[in-house]
Amino acid sequence: MRRVVITGSGAISPHGLNAADLWKGLLAGRSSTALLTQFDSSAFPSRVAGGVGPFKTTDYIPKSYRKAAKIMARDIELAVVAADGAVRDARLATRGIVESSGGGKPDGAWFAVESRRIGCNIGAGLISADLNELTAAMAQARQPDGTLSLARWGRSDDPSKPGGMDQLTPLWLLKYLPNMLACHVSIIHDTQGPSNTITCGQASAGLALAEACRTIQRGYEDIALVGGCESMIHAMGLMRWTLLGRLNTTSNQQPEKAVRPLDQTAAGTVIAEGGAVLVIEELNHARARSATIYCEIAGLGGSSSASGVSRPDASGEALAVAMSKALRDAQIGPEAVQMVIPPGYAIPEFDRADVCAIHRVFGQKPGAAVVPMRGGIGDCGAGAQAIDLVAAAMAIREQTIPPVVNCDQPPEHLDVPRTARRQVEIRNILIAASSLAGQNSVVILRKLD
Amino acid sequence: MEHSRRRVVITGMGWITPLGQDLEDVWKKLLAGESGIAPTTLFDARSFPTTFAAEVKNYALPENLAGSAKHQQIGRATGFALAAARQAWRQAGLPLPGAPEYAQLDPYSIGMYMGSGEGSLNFDTYTRTALAAWEDQTHSVNMRIWGERALKSFHPLGEIEQEPCMPLTHLSLEFNARGPALNCLTACAASTQALGEAMEIIRHGDAQVMISGGAHSMIHPFGVTGFNRLTALSTFNENPRRACRPFDATRGGFVLGEGAGILILESLEHAANRQATILAEIVGYGSSADAYRVTDQHPEGRGAIVAIEQALHDAGMTPADIDYINAHGTGTRENDSTETLAIKRVFGDRARKTPISSIKSMMGHLIAAAGAVEAITCVLAIRDQVLPPTANYTVPDPECDLDYVPNTARPAKVDVAMSNSFGFGGQNDTLIIKRFTP
Repeated sequence: MRRVVITGSGAISPHGLNAADLWKGLLAGRSSTALLTQFDSSAFPSRVAGGVGPFKTTDYIPKSYRKAAKIMARDIELAVVAADGAVRDARLATRGIVESSGGGKPDGAWFAVESRRIGCNIGAGLISADLNELTAAMAQARQPDGTLSLARWGRSDDPSKPGGMDQLTPLWLLKYLPNMLACHVSIIHDTQGPSNTITCGQASAGLALAEACRTIQRGYEDIALVGGCESMIHAMGLMRWTLLGRLNTTSNQQPEKAVRPLDQTAAGTVIAEGGAVLVIEELNHARARSATIYCEIAGLGGSSSASGVSRPDASGEALAVAMSKALRDAQIGPEAVQMVIPPGYAIPEFDRADVCAIHRVFGQKPGAAVVPMRGGIGDCGAGAQAIDLVAAAMAIREQTIPPVVNCDQPPEHLDVPRTARRQVEIRNILIAASSLAGQNSVVILRKLD
Repeated sequence: MEHSRRRVVITGMGWITPLGQDLEDVWKKLLAGESGIAPTTLFDARSFPTTFAAEVKNYALPENLAGSAKHQQIGRATGFALAAARQAWRQAGLPLPGAPEYAQLDPYSIGMYMGSGEGSLNFDTYTRTALAAWEDQTHSVNMRIWGERALKSFHPLGEIEQEPCMPLTHLSLEFNARGPALNCLTACAASTQALGEAMEIIRHGDAQVMISGGAHSMIHPFGVTGFNRLTALSTFNENPRRACRPFDATRGGFVLGEGAGILILESLEHAANRQATILAEIVGYGSSADAYRVTDQHPEGRGAIVAIEQALHDAGMTPADIDYINAHGTGTRENDSTETLAIKRVFGDRARKTPISSIKSMMGHLIAAAGAVEAITCVLAIRDQVLPPTANYTVPDPECDLDYVPNTARPAKVDVAMSNSFGFGGQNDTLIIKRFTP
């Protein structure tokens, strides 16, 4: 069977605009959650967010395609930046890199990609229309009673004036289609292989990686860009997560301490944005071009909790089954795993379900360190597991377990590191994710001998 | 081609469509060339450039789903998915959870792969809240006012139900399906891609049964706004039934539809062990990206050609093996000529001898769910040895010069059918479905 390895990683997160910054932030145990400044959130009980610092999307797009930046929602921009980082890290001379003006020109050591042999599988969330843009158009068709007049939305009473909908740019819809993350990335980097958009919330990136990995194993592509990105930092995101009771409402005075995964005082998450893209590649293909290999994709597992909407499977059974499947796929037992990245939302009932799942698979006193990544970041939806995957790839490459942020009182019997650990042999890392709706994805990454 | 992989068969099908909600009834209507397209009733569309759609008529959730505490506040598309899945599950002869026979199933071997679209915004609440907070002076929404009203007005479950993974969540609850669960949303290609990847999951041994297909409704004011602004929709308001004219020289856009199609896929071994009736076999899947423009298909059908070629390769077939092509055939100027070109490139001399039809001429375009109802159509064509027509075909287009089965269903030998789906943004997928022979 064809083996698949990771040869590039790009991340955009509250810790910074690339994978190196993410790793630096994680190693330092830094928290990048802060008071929400992107819009006035004074009406909301939770006013903390994990935002990404300023960047210019056009810096990551070749000149010939810059106009497209106008029709990219924030989620799409994040994916474009993350993909650029991943492709550069893997030294792939894609169209986007060859035609780019900044970021370092490829030389002979870079690999000229065969477009039909590279795919793209980037998870995405539900992208909300920009509230101001849409409301500005609706205001043209407002009735005295404050409702929207559909009679004046399609066209105006006055033929010389445009109707409400005409205020929207003709390509308005394209900004918000979830598949546009993968579509823009595939255009920029000219990836003509299989392309997919998995929309399973926080489990999306692992499912995307798993699917592309199988496609490479079947021989239908040699390389794939995989991952996920999402921004939850917008009015609708804050409103939805508030109504569902997922957010921390008691840490506005100490925003950096708001997200406390697995901690006894965990009180909810915060809205965040970010994600990552990884380059995965067939092992011999990577070796033939002397690529730097982070690790091997050793095991994959998926399941569904059947527990309902925004309600965890308290037994942890389904997540445990997905973990066991991944271990079987990797042909190892739980004792071979040195580090587990659980979903770790910092929402108490979800955290308890994670802990149950870990005990089911790893026993009463798990030997592996348990390292949730949400602490200094928050919930970036479809980007969440992508960030975890990059963190795991870095941990294997650097042979270092990063500390967990804001978990001062971990559950009994779990080894939750408070400081970075360097004197360990890290061979296998298990990365587990659960979406808010019960889809689970588990990936095991392994150090390559 | 790998020969050791598991074979994947179809054992159940169900759909909720603009032409009806019963498998055989809708099939009869398709063969009769009937139309499900009519003036829009779900909202007042009279001021819109397009005033008609292919709506699911008189839709009500089945009794035993409507009252269920498991399925509160579900979106329209999720309701379609549940109802279509019930039909498919029943046809497959699978027991419902709670039935004694259910104990013979392993819930963790039952997976789901859907190509479902996002749910619709709660239009009244959304527009009222936004307009109440709009300030003309600053030309922006006052977020303090918006936030206060929004927290009082929106329903938490109604909001979360718009996530595209929600049909999965409800299917999982309904059938206690606990295997791999995925949803993809590659626009108009989504459910074809879902079926292809669901097949791969069974082939690889990660599940024995997959509930797969798609569900979508974009027939709401902002959905129609989006497509009308793109000028992708037909505006043939004078005669909605004739609005969608795939491959015709006078074609002028697609017609927005809604609905769901669900198929039960099973490993041959699992189906045979429980002596299920096998409806057909899925034998080929191809997937590609145009990587060209988000607004246009590649003018030479580059990605479409790759998807079709890969599906043939995957099935170990040549164009001569294909008896029927169920086209993407949206009725837009661009798609139908590009699709024709792609078929000609791959099929060569066989292109003219291979009948092609588009049921979108009658059913409209179900967007994410389109591929699933078209896959079901292929299975029925194989079963009954008859091809559904392309309705509304009157004026030949020199750019579309193949056999589109115009206007009248045609008896034909159909052992193998191909179904194409090409998504907005450039994601392309092709499936090949074959008569089952042991």
